[in-house]
Amino acid sequence: MGSIRVENVVKRFGKVEALKGVRLQVQDQEFLVLLGPSGCGKTTLLRIVAGLETPTQGEVYIGERRVTHLPPRLRGIAMVFQNYAIFPHLTVYENVAFGLRMKRRPEAAIRQKVREVAALLRIEELLERYPAQLSGGQRQRVAVARALAVEPEVLLMDEPLSNLDALLRLEMRAELKRLLKETRTTTLYVTHDQVEAMSLADRIAVMRQGEIVQLGTPTEIYHHPADTFVGGFIGNPPMNFLPVVAEGGQVVLDGLRLPSPAERGPLLLGIRAEDLEVFPEPVEGGFAARVLVVEPLGPHLQLTLEREGTTFRALADPGFAAAPGATLYLRPKEGRVRFFHPETGKAL
Amino acid sequence: MRVWPWLLALAFTLWVLLPIYLIALSAFSPREAVYAWPKAFLPGSLSLETLRFFFGVEGVWRATATSLVVAGLTVAFSLLLGAPAGYALARFPFPGRDAFRVLLILTRAFPIVVLALPLAVLFLRVGLYDTPLGVALVHTALTLPFAVLVSASLFLSIPKELEEAAWTLGCTRTQAFVKVVLPLALPGLAATAIFAFITSWNEVFAASVLTLQNKTLTAYLLTLLDESPLPFKFAGGFFLVVPALVFLFLVRRYLFTLWGISHR
Repeated sequence: MGSIRVENVVKRFGKVEALKGVRLQVQDQEFLVLLGPSGCGKTTLLRIVAGLETPTQGEVYIGERRVTHLPPRLRGIAMVFQNYAIFPHLTVYENVAFGLRMKRRPEAAIRQKVREVAALLRIEELLERYPAQLSGGQRQRVAVARALAVEPEVLLMDEPLSNLDALLRLEMRAELKRLLKETRTTTLYVTHDQVEAMSLADRIAVMRQGEIVQLGTPTEIYHHPADTFVGGFIGNPPMNFLPVVAEGGQVVLDGLRLPSPAERGPLLLGIRAEDLEVFPEPVEGGFAARVLVVEPLGPHLQLTLEREGTTFRALADPGFAAAPGATLYLRPKEGRVRFFHPETGKAL
Repeated sequence: MRVWPWLLALAFTLWVLLPIYLIALSAFSPREAVYAWPKAFLPGSLSLETLRFFFGVEGVWRATATSLVVAGLTVAFSLLLGAPAGYALARFPFPGRDAFRVLLILTRAFPIVVLALPLAVLFLRVGLYDTPLGVALVHTALTLPFAVLVSASLFLSIPKELEEAAWTLGCTRTQAFVKVVLPLALPGLAATAIFAFITSWNEVFAASVLTLQNKTLTAYLLTLLDESPLPFKFAGGFFLVVPALVFLFLVRRYLFTLWGISHR
């Protein structure tokens, strides 16, 4: 069974607390993504699971085994590194076979397994080459093949796509998704790219400053962010936050009336750009805003608008006629408005 | 003007190569040609007579053998002590690491002339005097700072992730070092080894002071120099220069590593 359980893991580097008591459970065969800005501790957490760092406090379990103090080789893991870490002095074949040789598998079994994963990653043609003769995308494939060849209980990936150019990244992302569906390997995957996280993950753990701030499916996290940080970090453009004031259990923005979670006082209204409908004329249940910038992005028109000193974004149809300085009317789609506490940023 | 750099380079090249050429020329010329004046700049008649004479002198082969043993020991010590120290410098942050780096270079600040006499006394006391091992220890002290610093920059140039990948694929630390780091470090370590070899092979002062019977070739030639004929000096000089030239030819690529140019 390839589950991972991280219990109250604390990691300090000198005085810096990189992880502040993280709990996390990755189910067998699950694809879980650790997502967060750089320096949030996601890579440290991955390295602790791998055994490349030891936690200052807390325990790590893989399957039912407590592995907190085991070296990487005894943990039943395989890892794909950001810079691939392919051995430059070995051929692709020997790179892929490396883990199997360490396990002293018979030569015939090694040959068969290498062929098998090479076919899976479509690198059969490259087996006799040296890494220096490979492109970035090919190295990436070799690194994944090498990791899968040992049939790990758990696959750990540290920003494996971040060194690829944009087009190749898209291609490899789809490929990885297909691959890991096929192999059903439990995967813990680190990235700072929210699109990558959304597209690959069964569940996402959003991290900030050494803590997991939200854990959930991509849809949950996208539509119900736990706080303004998550809402702002996930989605492009980020979620809009408009300061509003509740009175008598209601929030009123021009013609828009919404029941508020608080009886009275300031609140933040969160709404995603694509959840705002844009109208040229005043509309029932809409509020007014002034256009600052119009960006035709192809599939839609991205509008940057201003209302009472707050800028926010909305998406309109590509054919929508809008000019900077004009006043437009916006109406949130049914059920898409979220409220957040104006100081703590927590969802209400 | 564009010509100046070239002229300058030419002058430097000649400055280095001309003496070597003349030594080689004399070493391969018959005895009369060595004494002849003015010197012929082109080889008139080549012969192995002088070299044959040189190797015929009593004690030359023995001294050569001693030199080889001393240099071999120096290489072994330099690598066995220098490479692990370099690895530690490259991979593990420890308190005083930068101070250690500076101290390493400081060891070269003490002239061997100052150290030689106290060392001779000490070696006499512990029974290392006049042994190849004793000379090799002093030579190791000379080469070790470079062995450490060069191998440190060498290991630093090998990404840590390669080792970590090896660990995750089933290697112990030692296995990862042997299977991944060592093959990648080997050319650089070879350069370090040859550097140690040449340093030891060419070192004359410590070798002279610390030995009596078991002299290395340089020390032996030094004692013979005053009383030997000119052709002998040329042949000896040539024999001493050759290993250094071969070394430079072999390692010119790695000299950049040696001087830390290829690294930030």
